[in-house]
Amino acid sequence: MNSKRAIGVFGLLMSFVLLIGACVAPSAAPSTTSTTTETTAVTETTTTTDTAAAPAAAGAFKIGLVTDVGRVNDRSFNQSAWEGVQQFGAANGLKEGDDYKYIETKDAKDYAENIQQFVDNGFNVIVTVGFAIGDATAKAAAANPDINFIGVDQFQAAEVANVAGLIFHEDQSGFLAGALAAHLSKSGTIGAVLGTDSVPPVVRFKEGYEAGAKYINKDIKIISVYNPKDISQAFNDPEWGAATAKQTIDQGADVIFGAGGNTGNGALQEVAGHAGLYCIGVDSDQWETVPAAHPCLVSSAMKLITPGVQDLLTLAKDGKFKGGNVFGGAGLAPFHDFDAKIPADVKADLEKIDAGLKDGSIETGVK
Amino acid sequence: MNVRFLPRIGRALLLPVLALLAALVIGALVMWISGDDPIKAYQGLFSGAFGNGRGWASTVRRMVPLILTGLSVAVAFKAGLFNIGASGQFLMGTVFSVAVGLYFAALPLAIHLPLALLAGVLGGMLWGAIPGALKVYTGAHEVIVTIMLNYIASLFTGWTVFAGTQGQAHGPLWDKAAGAISTTPDIAESARIPLLFAAPYRVHTGIFLVLVVVIFIWWLLYKTTIGFEIRTVGQNLKAAQYAGMHVNWTIILTMLIAGGLAGLAGAIETLGVNYKFAPEFGGAVGFAGITVALLGQTNPFGVVLAAFMFGALDAGAAKMQFDAGVSTDIIQIIQALVLTFVAAPLIIRTIFRLRQVDGLMKSAPGVSWGK
Repeated sequence: MNSKRAIGVFGLLMSFVLLIGACVAPSAAPSTTSTTTETTAVTETTTTTDTAAAPAAAGAFKIGLVTDVGRVNDRSFNQSAWEGVQQFGAANGLKEGDDYKYIETKDAKDYAENIQQFVDNGFNVIVTVGFAIGDATAKAAAANPDINFIGVDQFQAAEVANVAGLIFHEDQSGFLAGALAAHLSKSGTIGAVLGTDSVPPVVRFKEGYEAGAKYINKDIKIISVYNPKDISQAFNDPEWGAATAKQTIDQGADVIFGAGGNTGNGALQEVAGHAGLYCIGVDSDQWETVPAAHPCLVSSAMKLITPGVQDLLTLAKDGKFKGGNVFGGAGLAPFHDFDAKIPADVKADLEKIDAGLKDGSIETGVK
Repeated sequence: MNVRFLPRIGRALLLPVLALLAALVIGALVMWISGDDPIKAYQGLFSGAFGNGRGWASTVRRMVPLILTGLSVAVAFKAGLFNIGASGQFLMGTVFSVAVGLYFAALPLAIHLPLALLAGVLGGMLWGAIPGALKVYTGAHEVIVTIMLNYIASLFTGWTVFAGTQGQAHGPLWDKAAGAISTTPDIAESARIPLLFAAPYRVHTGIFLVLVVVIFIWWLLYKTTIGFEIRTVGQNLKAAQYAGMHVNWTIILTMLIAGGLAGLAGAIETLGVNYKFAPEFGGAVGFAGITVALLGQTNPFGVVLAAFMFGALDAGAAKMQFDAGVSTDIIQIIQALVLTFVAAPLIIRTIFRLRQVDGLMKSAPGVSWGK
């Protein structure tokens, strides 16, 4: 009796395994390109370029996105970049999952392999998100000159024809955030809770923020704190962000800039719990992404990743893709519910500064 | 189910295989519930790990360090010790070998590479000897000590490559050219393990060294007096003492071997794959070693099979996500389920109605809580 039942369970499992096995077999057939390279690859010089070039001619325009370590719906970089891909796809009648898709990176060691998935499958453009994946992107680009790469937040020290680094004047949107903070502060003390300073864009946000605040009030006291942890944790430390925001408030700050992924979001949420204080978000319009911060969130220092990615994809599709550094838009997000509370002269001043930054008459002093 | 008809090796394999199977089925259920296509996912997983040369290369490359950290935990289990510290020992091995790999660049490969490997082994041994000695001389439980040493190793190795921001001094191994990024430079050519296949099928010849180590550990455990003492201490400490064995020395020696194996894993991964160290590489391979050792039933050859399975799961993950859009988290779920099932064999025994038969593991290997 017992043994019959056990054989039943076992048989069920075995048939399941066989089913998978059976389904695996046909999928091996279309991947003939990989078997052909396999025979030649031992000669070392063979790269994957031949595999990449062939399917690209098939007609469909395919876009792959590899995230930085983390989720595609991280309400930050990964999400903004992916939305850029999605909007481009929707506008061009492409199909999500076939013509454009993403791979979430689990481990920094897997960057290259994740990019390779798209290379193997003949994708035309590969978007890689974040500063840390830049090295793997550069290597993949060198091996696959027929594929265009868009590196979000990846500064290009030397121009490579098939890599566009989408970077931003963080110092400028930080400058505007600082100016806004200085205008709003009554205590004369403002704060900034930041991700790690081993990521240059974060440093530019902070330096710009401080310069902007001093531009309005040269005696202002600014408390800026970087997360001391390693790059792999510094943007995912909301508890630290909240605790640091609290300390900054205790030291008299009444406007706080939270810049550093989830770490910054933790700071925003902490400030939201204190009546009468203001907070400023970062990267995207965080009014949309962190509803818990609505009680304090006056604006966000934005880097317009989504339209930036979309523009670069359009260039790639039209065959006008150019390598090197491409500056995406940067500026302040709308004031939303605080619109009525911001005095008209402050708004006018911010617009003047924005124009000044763009035409070069105001400099942030940040390299 | 009566398993008496199976040969001895079949009985030994039965439990791990059933555990893996059950984990895959539950994994499929999880995918199905979350609206994904499990068949497509497992197809992708399979073809990612074995579908072409690069898949095989990736599987083998990921298997190599897992074998060594798995052996590290398995050897400790034999002496009744639970080595949670393979992660820290791995990291120490990494940094010791990278330090040797960066300096002495004038040496020829035949001297430089063995030296760098040896440095890794020593680094791991150092980190294994501490919990061994503390257990013997103070009675401190190795589980607690190794967990604490993991943190110390993680912070220490992070410091050695720290880029020195916020006005703090940079670490001794930090690469100036990397600017604000915390990493070492690439090691000298003469310290790199020669490749068996070049890119994109990168497999390094360290695999042969690892297979020799596996056979050596098997020989040591089952064919030598030392191995007999290690196993006796694990099975019955008091009996070992009564028989006049040097129990204290055996415990320290076991931890030295375990640490050395994990350290060698770090060295091989550094000298054969990464060519440098950065904190984000981490010591996850060390923790995975615990599952690999348990799935391999703490047998050296079982560990190789288990490491191969886990290497394949990791190697196929990216393709699985690409093909089926399934988050790679599912791989971690499957691995965790495998660990649950092998650590609690009663579950598998009940599901499959296995009768108690000699040769089937009765409980988790010699974990000595509160000894």
